[in-house]
Amino acid sequence: MPTVKVNGIEVEVAPGTNMIEAARQAGVDIPHYCYHPHLPVAGNCRMCLVDVEAGGRGPDIACNMQARDGLAIRTDTDNVKRMRRSVMEFLLVNHPLDCPICDQAGECRLQDYYMEHGQHHSRLADEKITRTKRQDIGDLIILDADRCIACSRCVRFSDEVTKTGELRLFNRTDHTEIGVFPGTRLSHHYQGCLADICPVGALTNKDFRFQKRSWYLRAEPSVCDRCATGCNIDVDHDHGEVFRYRPRRNDAVNKSWMCDFGRLSYKRLAAEDRILTARGPEGAEGVDAVLAGLAAAVDAAARDHGDGSVGLVLGTRATNEANWAMLRALRAAVPGARVFLVEGNDPDAFDYTDDLLVHADKNPNTAGVRLIAEADGAVGDAEALRAALADGGLRLLLVLADDVLARLGEVRRPEALAFFGTWANATSEAARWVLPLAAAQEVEGSFTNFQGRVQRLQPAIPAAGDSRPGQVLAAGLARALGEDALPAGAAGVFHDLAANVPAFFGLSLAGLGAEGALVHREPPTEQVAPPDTRPAP
Amino acid sequence: MTQQVPGPEMTTGQKFYVREVLQGLWITLKHTVRNVLNADENFTIIDYPDVKKVMPERYKGAHRLTTRPDGKVKCVACMMCAQICPAKCITIEAGEDPDDPVEKYPVQFQIDMLRCIYCGFCVEACPKDAIRMDTGIYEINGFTRQDLIHDKAYMKDLKAGKKPLAEDWYREHPEDAPPGYDVKAPKLREGY
Amino acid sequence: MDWIQIGIVAAKIGFAVAFVMSIVPILIWGERKWSAYIQDRPGPNRAQIAGIRAGGLVHVLTDVVKLFMKEDVQPTAAMKAYWWVAPLIPMIVGLMTFTVVPWSSDFAIPAHSFGDWPAADLTIPMQVARINAGMLFILAFSSLSVYGIMLAGWGSNNKFSMLGGLRASAQMISYELAMGLSVVVMFLVYGTVRLDEIAQQQAGSIFNWGIFAPTGFIVGLIAFLIYWTSVLAETNRLPFDLPEGEAEIVAGYHTEYSSMRFALFFMAEYAHMIVGSTLTVTLFFGSYNIPFLRPETLQANIDGVLIALGCLGIPVNLFFAWLAWKRRRRVFYLSIRPDDPRQKEPKFWVAVWTMAALASAGLAVLGISRWVGMHLLAAETAVLLLHIGMLLVKVMFFCYVFVWIRWTLPRFRYDQLMNLGWRMMVPVAIANVLLAGIWVIIRETFLA
Ligand code: SF4
Ligand code: SF4
Ligand code: SF4
Ligand code: SF4
Ligand code: FES
Repeated sequence: MPTVKVNGIEVEVAPGTNMIEAARQAGVDIPHYCYHPHLPVAGNCRMCLVDVEAGGRGPDIACNMQARDGLAIRTDTDNVKRMRRSVMEFLLVNHPLDCPICDQAGECRLQDYYMEHGQHHSRLADEKITRTKRQDIGDLIILDADRCIACSRCVRFSDEVTKTGELRLFNRTDHTEIGVFPGTRLSHHYQGCLADICPVGALTNKDFRFQKRSWYLRAEPSVCDRCATGCNIDVDHDHGEVFRYRPRRNDAVNKSWMCDFGRLSYKRLAAEDRILTARGPEGAEGVDAVLAGLAAAVDAAARDHGDGSVGLVLGTRATNEANWAMLRALRAAVPGARVFLVEGNDPDAFDYTDDLLVHADKNPNTAGVRLIAEADGAVGDAEALRAALADGGLRLLLVLADDVLARLGEVRRPEALAFFGTWANATSEAARWVLPLAAAQEVEGSFTNFQGRVQRLQPAIPAAGDSRPGQVLAAGLARALGEDALPAGAAGVFHDLAANVPAFFGLSLAGLGAEGALVHREPPTEQVAPPDTRPAP
Repeated sequence: MTQQVPGPEMTTGQKFYVREVLQGLWITLKHTVRNVLNADENFTIIDYPDVKKVMPERYKGAHRLTTRPDGKVKCVACMMCAQICPAKCITIEAGEDPDDPVEKYPVQFQIDMLRCIYCGFCVEACPKDAIRMDTGIYEINGFTRQDLIHDKAYMKDLKAGKKPLAEDWYREHPEDAPPGYDVKAPKLREGY
Repeated sequence: MDWIQIGIVAAKIGFAVAFVMSIVPILIWGERKWSAYIQDRPGPNRAQIAGIRAGGLVHVLTDVVKLFMKEDVQPTAAMKAYWWVAPLIPMIVGLMTFTVVPWSSDFAIPAHSFGDWPAADLTIPMQVARINAGMLFILAFSSLSVYGIMLAGWGSNNKFSMLGGLRASAQMISYELAMGLSVVVMFLVYGTVRLDEIAQQQAGSIFNWGIFAPTGFIVGLIAFLIYWTSVLAETNRLPFDLPEGEAEIVAGYHTEYSSMRFALFFMAEYAHMIVGSTLTVTLFFGSYNIPFLRPETLQANIDGVLIALGCLGIPVNLFFAWLAWKRRRRVFYLSIRPDDPRQKEPKFWVAVWTMAALASAGLAVLGISRWVGMHLLAAETAVLLLHIGMLLVKVMFFCYVFVWIRWTLPRFRYDQLMNLGWRMMVPVAIANVLLAGIWVIIRETFLA
């Protein structure tokens, strides 16, 4: 482990760490444009120039400087300040300063570093060199070559990450211009990331274009719910309206990237087909009234036809908490109820898979539901459900989140169907009771991604319409069935889950952290009591 | 922290205020008697609303949106004004103009004049000189709250009011001008 | 008590209310017009009925219409009961205090003046309630009016109202003390707390007036100054209008009030001014008495007085006619709206004042023709009217002083207000009471 000194502060860093990261660990920010933690080092912007005190010759660029024992750098000398100023001046020589109309303003490195390190007046007497503005180069990207500072991040991204290589820096010196090869367009499905990594407003997101100035947005950490990868995201919202998703760095899951399908899925939060109100046999009613009607039906079915006539299909698209709470609620009231897990993709899932991020399974929580089903021990699969429906013994089926009817294909419909879901689909069409389930970005809870990583969700915006988190609906159903002992808060449900599902032993919702936590592959033989993080009553 | 600026010490006699009060009363009484006897000759007033005061150039009146030579508003919907506005009374909806090199423009631009405090920060903040408060319009009124939400169409090149300004009026009717008013070189006298 | 007496009392109550309430609009107008003249402005000059603006009096009518038509906004968070009651209290208190004020000498009706009625000589006191407590009753009641303001401040559930209410209560309590002490001087000098007796003792020479503390002089002057200052504070008028303090606390205790509820506060302020002026006149300025004319003298020489009055009225009214005539060129908007009905107004006023001059002449003629001798009550009635008129003139003068002071002096700071009240006025008032006591002893023992 090499030990380096940054501004006199000693830090021990992992071998191979470069000095920008090392300085960050020492609490020193080194301004940079071209360096990106998940891209190869190019070292062409020169913004990260630092003075080397010992262990090398300086000044040098920090991004290309590997930490090694005895290396000492300084970022607070007058020399460094002068260098930064000069680099800023160079970068701004031909920069158009479109800030009033530039979507990057507010999160633009050029602006930030100018305020911190530049603060010079323009000395340029000649005409600025202009390049082509407003080029439509992809489905999601507008390129303004005029604003580019030629950091080549985007070039490296398309070369190394997506391996499509559409972008190049053409010409030389002052006339360097970023662009795509004539006649081509961006062809990959990670275009949004280009807008994210571009430190300036050269590559901007077409979808977000002019929608909102960035400083009005507040970011809430969450997880994308469009595939089993579970990319970490920041939900940018203002006044209860979500404007965009941005990938949140998680080196174990999505690095700094996310796919365009997930990125645009924020629109589904306010989509036309959101289920916003509860619906019973008599049309729209209050959530509680519908839950009461459903509970009465469950009671009647269990009484008249035995416990086995009631069934529940766990939801691979619902949170761990929603699944667990539903399971507990039904098991408590109707111990003999039959529970199923139907895997597969819904019709509204996007049709694209790659080996970079996008997983073939388009449900965010399949792994978690499998673990819950395993722990329950009596959960049937799609075949079992098909069989149970075919013989008619299953009279009342509760479906959580998934479009089970579509997944099953041609089957005999159960007599009565209840659907707890966020978006309308074939199952909700057929259901007698429909209950609005809040979307993942509106609830507290967790998803378990395909790696078995439990990742925390935090509500960014209030739940739309009448919709409620799954555990709240489950608790309501339990109450209507006469069981009031079940917890309704996400932390409480997770606590209960972690105490009962071996793979989750020892986890707590608050303890998941920003990176999430892996479930136990080999369940511990002894039960580890989870820490109780619920607030004191 | 407020700071107390020491004034001159009051004498004991002054602390009873009697003489000072009587002095003040004497002055106002003189004015009253003079005005009654002189049949209102001494008033230096402007006959508002029939004639209007000329506002100084830098008076902050109703907002207007300036235009470019091609007639479009200069505003690019950068939201600087909305951001700085301490009363949070500016609402802008941005949009893209595909035919315009200045890609962005305000689809809607509204100022809620009921909330505006006429601080002029929006004018200061605008990087495009797109908003100004130099109309000299100080009668900002309406019959409904909606009337007082000035929108883009209204503010675009808003011109000063239509009623005659005092200056113009007095030039044509010198006999109406208050005593001491120089019709040829109209200047706002002190005390106006 | 028979029906006639009840009728008489009812009539007196009606008169008291009418007296106060009819001066209120005039005062509101006065406040505007006089303040305008103080500030070299014309004041209200637009509202008109057929071109007649009456110097802005018509504005008062428009005010009434406006206040009635306005939306009565009730804050949702207000404490309803307090909030409802609050505006009533100052108005009621203002009218109540007026009940013990005499407005003329006793009206004596000899037995059998009208056929059989009255059976015996009847003396009607010209005051609603002749109670022994007299001035004490007023002191007691006027301190109640602060409750209205406090309730308004508290009940509005608004911090500005609350501050206004607190300011008002502290201020009123402080100044009531000084006011009470200055009134004590009058009690000592006149040896009674009954206002009618005080009024009687002030008849005749102006040196019988309270301000000269029947020739204790300086004592009366000091008492008057303190009393008057306290009255300003009690009525929340500038320079003591801190409870409203619009520069600091929006509108103080009535911030949340609108429409007629606000109007009640507004009118109560003027009612208090009227009552305050009336009391000042009653205690210090000879009450209803006409200087140098005792009621008996007046009654005996009523013809001569009428002649004098009529003769005096002619030049005064002609003077006003002349003023109106002078104004004919200064009608605003003359050249702007040539067909405006207001163009003709000066001529109208010249006519009115000329007619008033003629009426004065008529009065003189009446005096000469000894009309007052025609019935045994005619002289009594004339005296009554003259006394009421005199009272009105004096009250209006002091109301003017109220306005005059308001538009001259700046508002006190709160610490100055308290300093003036407690450190200046109270000690001086106490010293003054001692002085008055000494003077009364000297007067009783040596000069009696
Ligand atoms: S890239 Fe940055 S500096 Fe350039 S116009 Fe956009 S916001 Fe302004
Ligand atoms: S477009 Fe952006 S990311 Fe690409 S080279 Fe230019 S500044 Fe860098
Ligand atoms: S003048 Fe001030 S308050 Fe009014 S719109 Fe401009 S910034 Fe806002
Ligand atoms: S600051 Fe100027 S350009 Fe920007 S939105 Fe306001 S008026 Fe438009
Ligand atoms: S960040 Fe090191 S040269 Fe760009």
